Formats: sequence, structure tokens, C-alpha cells
Amino acid sequence: MSDDSLIIYEEEINKIDAHISKMIKGAEAKCALLVDKDGHLITRQGFTHSLDTTALAALLAGSFASTKEIARLVGEPEFSVLFHQGKKDNIHMSLVGERSILVVIFDDRTTIGMVRLYARETAVELSKIFEEMKKSVKDDNGISNDFAAQAEEKLDDIFQD
Amino acid sequence: MVSINYSSREVCCKIVYYGPGLSGKTTNLLYVHSKVPSKTRGKMISLATEADRTLYFDFLPINIGNINGFAAKFQLYTVPGQVYYNATRKLVLRGVDGVVFVADSQPDKMDENIESLLNLQDNLKEYGYDINELPVVIQYNKCDLPGVLSPDQLNAKLNPEGRPFYVASATVGNGVFDTLKAVIKLVLDKAKNSASSKMNRSAPVEVIKQQTPTTLQRETAEPVNPGLETPIVRDKQNDVYHPQSEYKEPSKSDVIPESPKILQPEPVGVGLSDTARIEHKVNYKPQYRPYPGSERSKLRQEAKTFDKYPVSTKGNSSSFATKSESRYESNSPVVDLSQDHLNRTPVMMPSLKKKEIKKRGLFRRIFGKK
Repeated sequence: MSDDSLIIYEEEINKIDAHISKMIKGAEAKCALLVDKDGHLITRQGFTHSLDTTALAALLAGSFASTKEIARLVGEPEFSVLFHQGKKDNIHMSLVGERSILVVIFDDRTTIGMVRLYARETAVELSKIFEEMKKSVKDDNGISNDFAAQAEEKLDDIFQD
Repeated sequence: MVSINYSSREVCCKIVYYGPGLSGKTTNLLYVHSKVPSKTRGKMISLATEADRTLYFDFLPINIGNINGFAAKFQLYTVPGQVYYNATRKLVLRGVDGVVFVADSQPDKMDENIESLLNLQDNLKEYGYDINELPVVIQYNKCDLPGVLSPDQLNAKLNPEGRPFYVASATVGNGVFDTLKAVIKLVLDKAKNSASSKMNRSAPVEVIKQQTPTTLQRETAEPVNPGLETPIVRDKQNDVYHPQSEYKEPSKSDVIPESPKILQPEPVGVGLSDTARIEHKVNYKPQYRPYPGSERSKLRQEAKTFDKYPVSTKGNSSSFATKSESRYESNSPVVDLSQDHLNRTPVMMPSLKKKEIKKRGLFRRIFGKK
């Protein structure tokens, strides 16, 4: 497992967002999230207003991780697609590249087949973007001294007994 | 690994509370949840058994606010402590930035502490982490109980490397915040150091520059899409947050007040919802095929039907006009008949009525006046 931080730039997010919203329109899904396998939310599109996306991302990543472990017990390296069916809303999860999960939430306006079709297409496009991201190692990197110092100051204010 | 998102302007770190069963990991999180102001923390999620033992993990997101234009977010996880749940415990450690090892200070729990610490080491190794390189803080919990071991005794067995340790009592709250603060500091220090060492630069890097990273990078690379050169500040409407969870994300304008506010000509997310709404309005418009007869009778028909399907002002029900908006908010039927059904004749849906009219028309046409 790579020790690299996950750093995402606006340029890439814009591209990713464009692909995802195209998928939502095409598949007539409700919304879609792109989640890191560690449980961080990368981006979201569509009707996500009523969702607690932070918690959703953590739980979905957990769900995916446990399925991966199940797969290994069965003798499969990884299940690349996961589908939860509900009465009204359904969730389709698929693997994108090595470290992210594309989550599509949809209802009875569309069908699982449509979602699968579009999600697969989008996953290919997104993994291309991730490949490019990997290749172009950016010069400027994350956290500065200043950031850490300021964060530490804030901690004392927030965490008071 | 620390996740840095330049688009939503946030830095996200994952901190895991590890330790033997019943040592107080979930209690730590509960205390943080109860004491931290509600705008700072999110909703706590606990995947626990019926007996309140953690089954998979507990999750508490914390947002310490805007630092240098970035929202600093920390995700606190706990693991199931019981030996039996090692498979799920390992999963939670994926992508961890810092670990708090919660040890039970009671003498008879020492073996469990040591076993759990070794287990942590093994599980980290499976992900390719070295416990000595990862920020680890040790918490000696339950110090308020009688007959517990002293920190020196505990250190001798659990902390020969001299990691930072705190004596705590999670139920009361002593030492909980000290531990959390310490681990956050270590995580940020590590992220800072790894960033600077990776770049082989002596000068520290400024996270916030007037130019965004994308433009910086462009100086060398060819612009892919010149339209996206400037940072796009999304429409505030798009950056919504639901009050259902108390977690408050800082709005975009709070985060980057200095950056120019440029709206995309057609923001993708907003555009979608708008067009979707329009489509639905068109779809749900009651359609009547012209009934053979005068124009006036058609109008009368329409007026009658609208009278029968009144636009309700009740909160939970929707009408034709607002159906698309409330599509995701309620399951209630389109027509509110709660009061009207008593003094009116039974109402049929437009589609059924339409059919009836058509039949009569056909009948008349064949056998009737003509």
C-alpha cells in the first residue's frame, strides 16, 4: 500500500465532477459520491443535500473493505461491484482504479442495468484521470509548518474540559 | 495518509483508537462527542452489538475549523477490541494517520494490553506501516479505579520506546483531550515532515498562495483547459449541508474570502437539478385530449379537475406543481384528499377519467348522434 497522501487538485476534481454528473444524467441516478477506500469523501454530485456524506463515505468504505475481506475468504481478490437493494433507493458501488469507490444512489426512476452500464463507463474514464494524477507528481505538497502551528493553537480552544 | 483536497479546501486525517476490549476506546469518543461544541463535531456513528460492544467501528468526524484557508478535519475511529474481531479491526486501520493506544491500567488486564499492542504492530505491518514511524500516543485509561498500576509500571511493559503517554479516565474525561491533542499534533508534524522531505527542499512550503496549485503547475505544463485556470468557487446553493446532522462544514466564502468569486457559466450540479425539475414539471402537467365538443367545454373540464385536485398547503403532501421538488422528501400521494373525500364524490386520477371520456366518445361516435 502506498504511503502517499491523497492530494487532489481543482483541475482534476473538475474533470471528475464533469464525468460523474454526465453519468448521473445518463443513468438518471439520484446522486453519486466518489469515496477513497480509507473513507474520505473525494467529491459528490447530484441530490446530496439530504445526505450526511461524511458519515456515508466512512460507512461505505467500511462496507467495501469488509466485502473485500469476504472475497478473499472465498478465494477472489476483490469484488469490484457491490449492490444494495432497498424498497425505494438502491446503492451501486464500483471500484475505480486502485483506491477509490464510485457510489451511485438511485431509485425506481432508473434500472440497475442502466446504472451499471454508465458506472462502468465512468469508472474507466475516472481511472484514466487517476493514472494521470499518479504520473504527474506535483511539486507543491500538503501541509506547511504554518498550518501545523495554527492547528495546534486552535486545538487548545476547541478541546476544553 | 493525509488527504488534501484543493477543490473542497480540506485536509483530512484518520485517527484510530486501538486497544483491548473494554479498555474505553468508545468511551473516549463519547466523551469527545459530548464535550466538543456541536458545530465542531459531526454525528457519531457506532456500529455496535446489542450489548453495546463495538462490532465494526465507531466514527466521529471533527472539524477544527479554517486554518490557512483549509478546513482541518479529523476522523476518529475506534476498533472492536475483542480478540475475536481481528478481521474487522484490521480493516479500520487502513490509511491510518495516527493511533491512540488505549490501555487498561488494571493489573489483571496487562496481558490483554500486551497482546493488543502486538496485534496492532502485526496489523500495521500488513498494510506496510511501521509502528515506530507512525504517530502513536498511549493512554493509560481507568486511572480512577482502585489498585491500578502506576504509569511507571505500565511504561516498563507497554512503552519501552518512550512514546508520549497520558493517564486518563475516559468516563470522567480526565486526559481524554490531552491524548487527542497530542496525537493530532504528532499527525500534523509527521505530515509536515514527510511533505518537506519528499520535496527535498529546505524552505517550508506555503499551502496557501494567491495562485492556486493548478496555476502553479501550469507554468510548466500545457494548459489542458484554459477555462478552468482560475479557482472555481461553486455556487453557495450547491454547497449545501443538511441540518439533520449537526456537523457544519465551513461555507466556501468562509474558507477563501480572498479568492475571486467566479461562477461557472453553467455549474454542473446545479444545472442538473434545474433541468431535472423542469422535465418533471412538463411530465406531470395534467394532459387532456380534446374532448369532441366546443372549446369551452374543454376549459370547463380542466377547471373542474383542478378543483378536485386542490393545491394543498399542508407540509407533507405535494401537488402537481411541487411534485418534482418534493420527490425526495415525501412518499405521500400526489393528491391531498384528507378533508375533501367526505363531502365530494370519489375522485379518480386524471388518466382513468380520460379513458372513460374517450370510451363515451367512441360509443357516441358509433351509435350516438351521428
